[in-house]
Amino acid sequence: MYLVANVNVEICASKSCKLCTQYCPEANTIQYSEEMGKEQGFKYGSAYIAVDRCKGCALCVWVCDSLAKNNAIKMTMIDQLPKAALTDNITYGDKSTTAVLASPMVG
Amino acid sequence: MSLDYVKFSNGFEKFMPKEYRDMVEHGPFGKKVTVSQMGSFKEALEEHPMCAGCAMTLFIRLAIIAFPNPEDTITVGTAGCGRLAISQAAIPFVYGNYGDQNGVASGLSRGLRLRFGDKPKDVVVMAGDGGTADIGFQQVLHSWFRKERFTTIMLDNEVYGNTGGQESGMTNRGAVLKMAPLGKKFEKMDMLQMAKVAGCAYVATVVPNNPRRVESVIKKAVLIAREVGSTYIQAYTSCNIEYAIPTDKVMEDAKTVENDRYQFTEYVSEEAKQYLTERYGYKEFLPKPAAAIPNKA
Ligand SMILES: Cc1ncc(C[n+]2csc(CCOP(=O)(O)OP(=O)(O)O)c2C)c(N)n1
Ligand code: SF4
Ligand code: SF4
Ligand code: SF4
Repeated sequence: MYLVANVNVEICASKSCKLCTQYCPEANTIQYSEEMGKEQGFKYGSAYIAVDRCKGCALCVWVCDSLAKNNAIKMTMIDQLPKAALTDNITYGDKSTTAVLASPMVG
Repeated sequence: MSLDYVKFSNGFEKFMPKEYRDMVEHGPFGKKVTVSQMGSFKEALEEHPMCAGCAMTLFIRLAIIAFPNPEDTITVGTAGCGRLAISQAAIPFVYGNYGDQNGVASGLSRGLRLRFGDKPKDVVVMAGDGGTADIGFQQVLHSWFRKERFTTIMLDNEVYGNTGGQESGMTNRGAVLKMAPLGKKFEKMDMLQMAKVAGCAYVATVVPNNPRRVESVIKKAVLIAREVGSTYIQAYTSCNIEYAIPTDKVMEDAKTVENDRYQFTEYVSEEAKQYLTERYGYKEFLPKPAAAIPNKA
């Protein structure tokens, strides 16, 4: 098994800082959805991870903990994520994206 | 090179992979995208085999987002880690032999001017410190002395990363590397000073822990190179493998190095300042209003 980043929507959606999206070395891996937080009744949208692209470096954990001081990202074993975003299930809109979450495990 | 090359050929749309469709429909082409919109548009850069947590990867990602006209840009690279990612973007990439990149870019930018006249076609070289300051040194310097109008970006990880840790001219004195076990005996080369002596119109240092600054220097460098002359950006892009930096500490290292030897510096020639102001509406080079000048008396 391997680690991928996992964003706590509850924390992230109360902050709206979007900082980690500018620091992940991989393209289109930390994505942002305006709906993800608001749907659950929070004030803002949330960052989320396209786990099929995440290389598990934890650079974003440092950014969220030490720069943003929000502690919203934890590295998690991929088989411990019941649902996650995958590139195939991400839709781009004008200013935001939406993601249908699904099990990241194949089969 | 135009918006046409990112469109679908008739009838092929339904056969294209999702990433390609996203890129055509929601990519950065033909509109302005910024670093602060990251995570909400499809980037030109795709997946690639560079190491997890590599700061060079982050820098390349930011640089590509910052290109003012991605649909009218050609990147030139050479042997070294960076080409593994630069070549995986929806932007034409020319691979020069190791060290040839500034010679290749010289011919390319001249050819594009002959072919397209005044319509801007941007050429951006991105190569490692070994490729730029050692193996490509004479071609880099000569392209600057000739005032070739393209941008040179050094991805300075202070080592030959792709081949397992040999010292380069940009390695710091005393650094011990896997294939430089006695420690480097000479000082880090001052390529910034050389760029100024050789007549570059814009010279800047930058570290990727400040994404918006990366965006700003890339934009200026590319715009100035359209008409004024050569531009040079030297970016600290650590190699976490050869310098054993834990990947979750890569940005902390960037901060430390920024404070130590990579403070932000920017040189803009007078001609380039005037050009950015008049042609692209930059305000930062205008004379400061009298009230804003602190009273020294
Ligand atoms: C003419 C030639 N000599 C040697 C090599 C082998 N080679 C490939 S990458 C590389 C080192 C690259 O170092 P640098 O330019 O600093 O880039 P980095 O990999 O550190 O980003 C070398 C020596 C080559 N490809 N071509
Ligand atoms: S840095 Fe943390 S709080 Fe900010 S957007 Fe990213 S996950 Fe959310
Ligand atoms: S762990 Fe690394 S690759 Fe994965 S989302 Fe975080 S910064 Fe990006
Ligand atoms: S070897 Fe170093 S510079 Fe090359 S991709 Fe890996 S971490 Fe980056």
